[in-house]
Amino acid sequence: MRRILLIHIILLAGIARLAGQTPEERYSRAGELYGSGDYSGAAAIYRQLWEEGYRSGDLLYNTGNAFFKSGDNASAILFYERAKLLAPADEDIDYNLQIARSRITDRFETVPQLFFVRWFDFLSLLASTNAWAVAAFLMFAASLLLALVFLTKARARGRLLSFWLSLASLILAILMVSLAVRNNSLVNHNRRAVITCSIVTGRSAPGETGNELFVLHSGTTVTVEQELGEYREVRLPDGNKGWIGSSCMEKI
Amino acid sequence: MMKRNIAVFAFLLAALLASAQEVTLTVDAPESAAAGERFRIIYTVNSTDGQFTPPKFDASFSVQGPQQSTSRNVQWVNGDVKTISSTTLIYYVVAGTPGNYTIPSAQFETKKVTVSSQEKQIVITAGGSSQGVAGRQQGQSVNAGDSPSSGTDVSMKILLNDREVYAGEPVTGTLKLYTRINLSGIQELKYPDFKGFLKEDIETPPLRSLETEMIDGVQYGTGVIQRFVLYPQISGDLRIDPAEMTVLVQERAGARDPFFDDPFFDSFFSSVSTVPRKIATQPVTVKVKALPEPRPADFHGAVGSFSLESAISGNDAKLNDALTLTVTLRGSGNLNLAGEPAISFPQGIEKYDPKVTVKSTGTASGSKVFEYLLIPRNTGTFDIPPVSYSVFDPKQQKYVTLRAEGYTVNVTGTPGEDQGAAPLYTPGEDVKYIGQDIRFIRNGNAELSSVEVPLVSRMHYWLWFALALILAAVVLLLRREQIRRNADIAGLRNRKAARNARSRLAKANALLKGGKKEEVNAEVARALWGYLGDKLRIPQSEITREKCYAALRERKTGEEFITELDRILTATEYSQYAPVSEGESPAALCSRAAALIGKLDDTLD
Repeated sequence: MRRILLIHIILLAGIARLAGQTPEERYSRAGELYGSGDYSGAAAIYRQLWEEGYRSGDLLYNTGNAFFKSGDNASAILFYERAKLLAPADEDIDYNLQIARSRITDRFETVPQLFFVRWFDFLSLLASTNAWAVAAFLMFAASLLLALVFLTKARARGRLLSFWLSLASLILAILMVSLAVRNNSLVNHNRRAVITCSIVTGRSAPGETGNELFVLHSGTTVTVEQELGEYREVRLPDGNKGWIGSSCMEKI
Repeated sequence: MMKRNIAVFAFLLAALLASAQEVTLTVDAPESAAAGERFRIIYTVNSTDGQFTPPKFDASFSVQGPQQSTSRNVQWVNGDVKTISSTTLIYYVVAGTPGNYTIPSAQFETKKVTVSSQEKQIVITAGGSSQGVAGRQQGQSVNAGDSPSSGTDVSMKILLNDREVYAGEPVTGTLKLYTRINLSGIQELKYPDFKGFLKEDIETPPLRSLETEMIDGVQYGTGVIQRFVLYPQISGDLRIDPAEMTVLVQERAGARDPFFDDPFFDSFFSSVSTVPRKIATQPVTVKVKALPEPRPADFHGAVGSFSLESAISGNDAKLNDALTLTVTLRGSGNLNLAGEPAISFPQGIEKYDPKVTVKSTGTASGSKVFEYLLIPRNTGTFDIPPVSYSVFDPKQQKYVTLRAEGYTVNVTGTPGEDQGAAPLYTPGEDVKYIGQDIRFIRNGNAELSSVEVPLVSRMHYWLWFALALILAAVVLLLRREQIRRNADIAGLRNRKAARNARSRLAKANALLKGGKKEEVNAEVARALWGYLGDKLRIPQSEITREKCYAALRERKTGEEFITELDRILTATEYSQYAPVSEGESPAALCSRAAALIGKLDDTLD
């Protein structure tokens, strides 16, 4: 599956290159369009780049801006959320996301996450999944080396130091592995989704038969809890749950 | 009553020609009437003595009357006196529900005879229209809405200049009266509520005289009751409900005599009464089209053809002195509903809500003036941007963007010189936030990276850890083995140290017999150094006296042994470099070394 996707991406990239434009050229072309006021044109190019598999915090941030300016608040929120996963410390993304959120219909009292979860998530997003993974492995290797020193050096003053260093780097390695896993689950297996239909009804059961529970409007961020065919059980920011058709949402 | 007297006189004349008649009862009723419209049923009998029995009217009819009048004519004919009398009974009827009805016959009973009137059929039509009556008008006008409805003597119409308009586009309407009979006045004009429209009356002179107009060959007296302008507010098919009015109709109330049915006598001699009659217009439907989407951002509801201009009171202004910007929208259309243009005045110029005046120059046309009072609060040069104002032109069926000139204002003056003016900005004012927007995009280096497969979700990443662990374990085992082997070599040498030393001493003893003194001493020194190196685990290349003494002291060897060792070593070295036999004999040195090694071997492991 992944291989097919990869081939697809390569093919798309190949077509774009045949058209005589590198991704970087298209990126700056979209920036020019944005500057001249053609927001939907810019959004189309940015989105195309995203679909071809190019990633960067700035790219997603610009995509969100272009969608916002062309009036598509739901897509803007979607891309700002995606951008936040790549650049969690970017304050501009937070600012624009907050403005885009203020323009949507649904209002929720969101319960903030526990501070250590927030910090841990923030820390995990500061580097990419693979950066954390490689760092964790290097730290583990260092821990092993220090352990070898401790175990083989018959008697020396460095013996005790090597023991403590080995222990510390082992703990760091475990932390980095968990950061890598957390980053992977946030970036690649995010369960959150943004509602894209202008209005959609949440029902108590998958299908059209369930009782109507609530009405959502575009731009609202929900968490997908379960999947069944074309339907998704979503959890609203205030904790309520209901089933919505999968065509009405896009995963972050 | 005066008229009635004249009528009496007329009948006196008529009686000259009349002969004695039988008693007859005639009925006069319209063939059709509209539901809710008042009509008359007139019974005439040429007798005054008798009992009139009214017909049984349908239950849905509401009947008023009868209004009864009698006349008596005395005639002299050739000296004979004849008396002709007649009785007229008028019923005013309003039928409630449409349908076909029969008015049954009425009876009149005199002393001699009882007569009956004919039965009459009457068609009650629905809601104000009275069609289907005598096909008087062949080839009726197609534009039925603009001609009076056929079959009625008096009618009223709402005439509109357009039936298909855009929302907001003004429609001029005229409420017009058509009559074929004499009217003495109008009463109780009741307008419908014009649902979905905004109505504006146009000043109309009161109706005093009627004009003559030929419509489909029939002469009507017409008059405009009221003119008005309608502004549709919503789109869709909007129905204008009937307007209602009561007209005062002059009608002859006297007996109808076939010989005197003449307008001349009607006007002068017949008994004329004023009868109120309700008339109503037919409902009119106006098709209102919605304005096309998308609407420009600077569209504020103006529909029509307009022009826009602007003027400013001056290009140079003093600080805190008022300036006036005048924006004039001129043309025809819904001026009243045209909103205020959005002008983004520069910061530093205080703007007040505009004064709006509408000058009308005709039906839905004129000009609307927006007067902005501006007060410069800072010095400098300020640009008042050109005013952009979009209107919808129904003729071109599209939005037209009007532009009026922008201005540059140069504000001079020193702050504070104008005392008593509006409060000046004090230094250190807070930054004013006047809008909110998202932040701009980043146009720097994209630093695009492709999607990477996350390592943590691949098996081989976790195998690296296992591999590293196994590698470390192997290294550890190898290292342990090496240490163990090294330890073994040292132990062997330790154990063999005394034996090696003794064999060297034995060799020295053998050399002693040969008399080679230097070689004996060298061999004794070699035996001692070898022993110390093996026993104390010091490589031969690094061995020195000090190292050996330190190592011996560390192993708690007695000082006397160290002193003895030092003496022997010094002696061997001394004898090596000073061959003259001054010190101990090599044999004694040899035995002392053997004794020392024996003792040392007891204390060292």
